Amino acid sequence: MINSLNLVERAFFIRRIEEKIIEIYPTDLVQSPLHLSIGQESLAVGVCSNLSNEDQLFTTYRSHAYYLAKGGNLKAFMAELMGRKTGCCHGKGGSMHLADSSVNFMGTSAIVASTLPHAVGAAYANLIHNKSNIVVCVIGDGAADAGVYHESLNFASLHNLPIVFVIEDNDLAVHTTKKERQSFDLEKHAEAYGFLTYSLNDTQDPDAVSKFMQGIYLEVKTKRKAAWVKLKAFRYKEHVGISEDFGAGYRSKNDYLAWSAKDPLITKKFEIEIISKINLEIDQAIEFAKNSPFPELADLYTDVIQ
Amino acid sequence: MSSFKQKSELTYAEAIYSCMNFAMESSSDAILIGQGIGDFKGIFGTTTGLLEKYGKQRVIETPIAEEMMTGFALGASLNGLYPIMTHIRADFSFVAMNQIINLFAKYQYMFGGQFKPAGLIRMIVGRSWGQGAQHAQSPQSMFSHVPGIRVIMPYSADSVIENYKHEIENKNRLVISFEHRNLYDINFKLELNHGNYLNGSTVQRAGKDLTIVATSIMVLESLRAAQFMEENYGLSVEVIDMTSTSHPDKNLIFESVSKTGRLIVADTSWAPYGVGAEVSRIICEKNPSVLKSPIRSVGMEQTPCPTGKTLEDMFYPSVRTLVKSALEVCGKNVEKLPEGESYRDFYRKFKGPF
Repeated sequence: MINSLNLVERAFFIRRIEEKIIEIYPTDLVQSPLHLSIGQESLAVGVCSNLSNEDQLFTTYRSHAYYLAKGGNLKAFMAELMGRKTGCCHGKGGSMHLADSSVNFMGTSAIVASTLPHAVGAAYANLIHNKSNIVVCVIGDGAADAGVYHESLNFASLHNLPIVFVIEDNDLAVHTTKKERQSFDLEKHAEAYGFLTYSLNDTQDPDAVSKFMQGIYLEVKTKRKAAWVKLKAFRYKEHVGISEDFGAGYRSKNDYLAWSAKDPLITKKFEIEIISKINLEIDQAIEFAKNSPFPELADLYTDVIQ
Repeated sequence: MSSFKQKSELTYAEAIYSCMNFAMESSSDAILIGQGIGDFKGIFGTTTGLLEKYGKQRVIETPIAEEMMTGFALGASLNGLYPIMTHIRADFSFVAMNQIINLFAKYQYMFGGQFKPAGLIRMIVGRSWGQGAQHAQSPQSMFSHVPGIRVIMPYSADSVIENYKHEIENKNRLVISFEHRNLYDINFKLELNHGNYLNGSTVQRAGKDLTIVATSIMVLESLRAAQFMEENYGLSVEVIDMTSTSHPDKNLIFESVSKTGRLIVADTSWAPYGVGAEVSRIICEKNPSVLKSPIRSVGMEQTPCPTGKTLEDMFYPSVRTLVKSALEVCGKNVEKLPEGESYRDFYRKFKGPF
């Protein structure tokens, strides 16, 4: 379904999915923490739109949008959020641990920065196997606080790995701003490793992000050299949960208003046919999930190595 | 594995080297990762020359970045490589705890079996010769606590070869192996391919008066103690090698204790929440009434490891500690103890600097 839509429609589809989740959240059908992508869908769509199925994506606990943009199965996604056996991870992963190996969405982690070295290792294997696919690792600016960020960038650059690091820079790690956490400039720091570095500030339009990323992927694929990209991002909701938190005092509502004024998912009028098609698809996925069986006791023990 | 059969005995280090070479030779997807993996010392000779033989793309000398390299191993495994990673001291693995515990051990489970990452992490226990607080720890219990990891502690060349060969051929799980550095230079007669060491526990000496369940080098100490007790006290001691601390053969251990009624657990680490605690749990949950006397744990004293030789000798259990404990459990008075208080005196081959 998602691939039949244009990029703005894809982003809109993803937003509608999460808005639907917000609607059903109070019913307790989803019983786990949620880190919503709302506000950042255009980044996910733009980053994924030029990737082939074989290109691999590693990302974080705020990954609903990336899972869906990479082509992850929607029904399995909804079922996973509801802890059903038909979920993409059979009810063992949930919102923070999504994966769909069939589209090379390689798994997400709830530990900040922890997927960086997985992406590096995967890219190294691709290099050894002479594969032409690339690995994309999406992290937030908070991940750059962690030591393993440096370790991963160092190794990727040292070995010229076919990998793209994408930093979603929303200036926040949970509730703490970058200037309270980082003594360095992210981009200058990345340049020091010898990366091809790129930065885009206006990311509301998925087509613009897509076009930007297309050029970068081409560079990485032809030069076989790692790249580092910073995309400015804006999180519309609280760090975890379904509410807005502009009243909490750590960020400004005016910034949100300025950013969202350029958000095509808010400003654009979508055709009624598209909206109906999207809503139907979402409703069907929710029905599928609600009618799916829960795992049984035996399932608790599967996939633990002995 | 023809190279193994040509010899009737190998040192522990030679057995590991043979396995590393076998891994690299039998599959182009095997990679070796570690600090010092390709240098002239070659991890106590266990990887010497492999860099020259298989190239730097597959024998990866790493930055000092334990967390990243462990995550790297997991990522490489997701794309079909089989990483064999070495921490030249087990203590260094603590820097990689996040990747081992939060990621590698859970990757198959938390994604519902979509990925089956596998790898072998070798951790060297650096006991003796002034290794001190951060170069001599033996953290098998910490890792055995966590589902998703198989923890092994091969005590002999046979055990190394059977276990490593199995993992290298099957490539289907995360295994952490503790290699006790004092074992490296010891010669072992090879029997090979009995499959004994894959079940988690083996009987290394049969007996009827007392069971000693031991790990790693403590198996050798227990065999010494058993021999001494038979010769000097007429006691018949059964020694069980707990090859896997995470997946021991619980029935084999329980049956032995049911038979002897007495149990000592001799481990290379601290006792609280350790191997002794786990073996006690196994017995108590099955049937504690088989015990004729209280269980005793033998391990390191409950302090960090001191560096100076005098304190270090007090810190580690010796064959004397084992014999004293065994006599106590068997209700015998101490009349004679083995010569050679110091562990290092017995395995006197070893000298530093590292």
